[in-house]
Amino acid sequence: MAEMWITMGPQHPMTHGLWTMRVKVDGETITDTEAELGYIHRGVEKICEARDFTQITPYCDRLCYVSAMTWSHSYVMAAEDLLEAEVPERAEYIRLMAAEIQRLASHLMWLGAFGPDIGNLTLMTWCLRDREMFLDLLQELGGSRMHYNFPRVGGVKRDIPIGWADRMRAKVKLFEHRISEYEMLLDESTIWLVRLQGVGYATAEDQINAGVTGPNIRAAGVNTDARWTNPYSVYDQVDWEPAVEKPTSIKGADCYDRYRVRMEEMRQSCRMLLDAIEKIPGGSNTHYQPGDEMILTKAPTRAPEGATGFSTYECTRGVSQFYLQGGGDSRGKNPYRVSVRSPIFITIPYVAKLMIGYKIADIPAIMGSFDPCIGESDR
Amino acid sequence: MNDWLNLYDFFFYKLHHLMVWLTAGTFLESSGADIGFFLATMIMCLITFGSIMSSMFVILWIERKLYARVNDRRGATTALRSLWVGENGVTAGEWWNMIPYGLGKPIGALNGWLNKVAGNDGHSHEMVNRVGNRSWYGVTIFPGFFQNLADGMKFMIKEHMVPERADKVIFEVAPFLVISSTIMILGLIPLSSGIYGANPELSVLFAFAIFGIAPLGVFFAGWSSNNKYTLLGGIRSAAQLTAYEIPLLLSILSVCIMAGSFNFIEIVNFQHSAGVWLLFLMPLGAVLYLVSMIAEVERIPFDMPEAEAELVEGWWTEYGGMRFGLLFAAEYMRVYAACILFAHFFLGGWASPFAGLVPGGPLIPGIIWTLLKAWFIFTVIFVWARTALPRIRTDQILEFGWRMLLPLSFLQVVLAVIYRLYLFDASALADTTSGGWAWDFMGIPWGVPILTTAFWLGVFWVFMNDENLEEDQERMFHVQTLTPAGKHTAGQE
Amino acid sequence: MGIAITKEQNSIAASAIADAISKRFSDGGVNAESVAHSNDKKFDFVRITCEPNRWRAVAKWMRYEGGVNHCSMVTGTHFPDGPAERGWEVVVHLMKWPISNVAAHTMVVHDASKFKTEDVPMEFEVVIPLAAGDSPTVPTVQDIWVGADWNEKETWDLVGIDFEGHVNMHRVLNPHDSPIGFHPLQRQHKIRYHDFNEMYDDPQGFGRKPVDEGRVK
Repeated sequence: MAEMWITMGPQHPMTHGLWTMRVKVDGETITDTEAELGYIHRGVEKICEARDFTQITPYCDRLCYVSAMTWSHSYVMAAEDLLEAEVPERAEYIRLMAAEIQRLASHLMWLGAFGPDIGNLTLMTWCLRDREMFLDLLQELGGSRMHYNFPRVGGVKRDIPIGWADRMRAKVKLFEHRISEYEMLLDESTIWLVRLQGVGYATAEDQINAGVTGPNIRAAGVNTDARWTNPYSVYDQVDWEPAVEKPTSIKGADCYDRYRVRMEEMRQSCRMLLDAIEKIPGGSNTHYQPGDEMILTKAPTRAPEGATGFSTYECTRGVSQFYLQGGGDSRGKNPYRVSVRSPIFITIPYVAKLMIGYKIADIPAIMGSFDPCIGESDR
Repeated sequence: MNDWLNLYDFFFYKLHHLMVWLTAGTFLESSGADIGFFLATMIMCLITFGSIMSSMFVILWIERKLYARVNDRRGATTALRSLWVGENGVTAGEWWNMIPYGLGKPIGALNGWLNKVAGNDGHSHEMVNRVGNRSWYGVTIFPGFFQNLADGMKFMIKEHMVPERADKVIFEVAPFLVISSTIMILGLIPLSSGIYGANPELSVLFAFAIFGIAPLGVFFAGWSSNNKYTLLGGIRSAAQLTAYEIPLLLSILSVCIMAGSFNFIEIVNFQHSAGVWLLFLMPLGAVLYLVSMIAEVERIPFDMPEAEAELVEGWWTEYGGMRFGLLFAAEYMRVYAACILFAHFFLGGWASPFAGLVPGGPLIPGIIWTLLKAWFIFTVIFVWARTALPRIRTDQILEFGWRMLLPLSFLQVVLAVIYRLYLFDASALADTTSGGWAWDFMGIPWGVPILTTAFWLGVFWVFMNDENLEEDQERMFHVQTLTPAGKHTAGQE
Repeated sequence: MGIAITKEQNSIAASAIADAISKRFSDGGVNAESVAHSNDKKFDFVRITCEPNRWRAVAKWMRYEGGVNHCSMVTGTHFPDGPAERGWEVVVHLMKWPISNVAAHTMVVHDASKFKTEDVPMEFEVVIPLAAGDSPTVPTVQDIWVGADWNEKETWDLVGIDFEGHVNMHRVLNPHDSPIGFHPLQRQHKIRYHDFNEMYDDPQGFGRKPVDEGRVK
């Protein structure tokens, strides 16, 4: 039978976002692929050249909307590097907790989309149900469930409300049992294992060379997490370990390894949260007013021409970098150039080539296990 | 043992006498009996089809509600509280207090009890009330029963589209093949010894011959829609259905060997007169039948042909309106037929449990028992598997069917032959209310089924416990640590 | 407490690499130094300023002898008002992540005390200023790091910097039928209707021109 090109087009339930993958199939086997991105290119980098440093933060939330806190945190770190601003320690703790809760919510969204891709529709409702708990916590911090606009250059917008710490502890402790429940449903299911193991091998050297980062290479046995290789915030004071899975095959990490890494990352995030709330300076049940110097320092608002700053940040999907050049419009109030590095932008072409040789039915398994989010890739 | 509610004979004799009497002396005299037979069959078909279709609402209702419960989408009392909806969708809250004369108080008590037993109050998580009233044994009552009737009406008013470059003739013919073959089977399946549309002598053979026409319709649909996705879905479906026809037919063959007949009614009567349900004599066959049937009706875990993640409804994609509605209904009719057939083949059909031991005759008509058993199997096997399992990849499905189920079904046929020839005591068949004892073994009453069931349960237990624990440890997460972990251990307080 | 590399280890490693590069490319065109962030919690990184014609040599050294295995980001900037020798700039961010041979069933242990200087993860920023003009060109490193491939495509697509030797250059973020020569991040293209003043003074767009109807502006 002749080979035919199938377009898993922009509108497709599997693609988790708006992009196209054209797949050449011989029967059920894939022989070639082409990935096309850029459907939701919104020109964020250009827009940011006309915005204040504070005004850019909401745009960064909308880069990867599933994982908004981490992206605005990443940008704000780069802006602080450029403007040479200080951040009070309590604000660092608050940012860390917000980022880790966001990581939990994002991984739950990933699992809630990954399960139905493999066929297990129950996971969607379970994961979204649990994600509600964390969205409620973030809503108390940032005001909305998805785009929070929470970090500020020099600190955070507002302090944790009174009682937030108790709610967070209760929810995280409940959630740890729920993770065990997910593992019970999935890891003991032969069908799940049969769909994910042996599919989508990717070796560590190939992945690093190709620019893939984050849980995807940690699944291949490489202990690389930007939270300790390029430390920032207060991750060195909080109890945690990077989640690394050693693959059992020399061919590299398969989809099952990547799934396990994210499950374990969720556990580590829970651990970090429970530890950070104990260690936060100023106490977990005090509330400082917005603008108080415990949570926000007065940062310079202008960056001279020639100054640069960048941040290397461990987002939920990989390493994200912001590179800012100062000296833009309004006599330096705007940056001259904002450049965003999206992990998924690099991962998708790599994964598209990785899929050659597998079956069509493996496409959702492989694609889903790399956790694409097109908002950040298209900027 | 024939059921006491014998509608077929009732209508047959009544109409026979009526038509013979009516046509006496007219030019139709010689065919009066035939006309009577024709009318009786038509009425019986209507009754059978009507009962199956109206009881199919139960199937759809069970699926929705149980699926929602397992997905934790329903609290224990949501259905109860939502019964009364006022203007602007405002619920009346505790609406039972508004019923006059205090008649609503028991409902209020039920609501409170359910919340106490199965709601969040049993757990100490007041902070997390938002994440649903979790319980494993919530009760939902009738609201939602006629949802599927509304769905059917909705399908009727939707637009019927034919893709521009589709092969129009085959595009229209394909749904007919699927739907009509499914409905034709319903005429052959008896709901009781006296409620059936037709009862040819080889009814099992005939029914499964018709059952196997549907894959052809599926393939037609997939090809004619002129769409690469549907083509893939149709091909996958054709391969899968062909692969699983064989273990299905072989397991049914073993049932027929055991029972000594190709007739539904005789198979069920055999189970009663021999004294034990075939489930206990051939558990392997029952499992094979269930797995093959789930694959035949394309439910999760075998629903790769219509996998939404890749194929967006697969071979159904291009159908709209009532054609889609009928295909959808046909799928559930096939599921229902599979459940009823399982009840007949393995669970004793219309006999009540322990019918042979309970003195006196059956009180509840057999059709009720048949339907109850069918609903039970649907709930426990079909719906539960759907909620908990992901789907298997097509080549894995095919490998499973050809390489694992086929040899097992051969084994089952051989076992059936051995059982029937050497372990069956034909002289102990008794077509009485109390049944017979044809399966004794060396003096132990019902020895053969007891030993068989014990053996297969033992095999199952061995497979469950035989894990390579070391292999699991190797695959499981290994933390790469620098210093030993802190005091807090994830997952424990 | 997580994995810890101490600041001194990192500083020593950064200086060592900067020195190695300077020594190797002492014949000019390349300037390497280890730079500290303003926030002293962050680790030092190595900033290399190099001329375009030396970029490939530096890249090859970094990949094959320096162990820099990850190309992270390629940024292009347009300076129409800047000095003549810095009309365009390409900034490449790279990372060195040490990985041992990951054979099956071996554990990769990162114990800070066992870290040798060349094992410390390191970050690099390579700044390549280009002369002002209409056709800025930089040699490609697509064959050295696979991660540079789509990064370079994006830089050409948005900024207009050509990468000499790049195979299969095509638009990635802009539509495939964008006009040739249209690179939106160049400074002469102004954002219509999303500039700060216009957006805030006319949020519902009543002042937009009819000729721009339907255009993505």
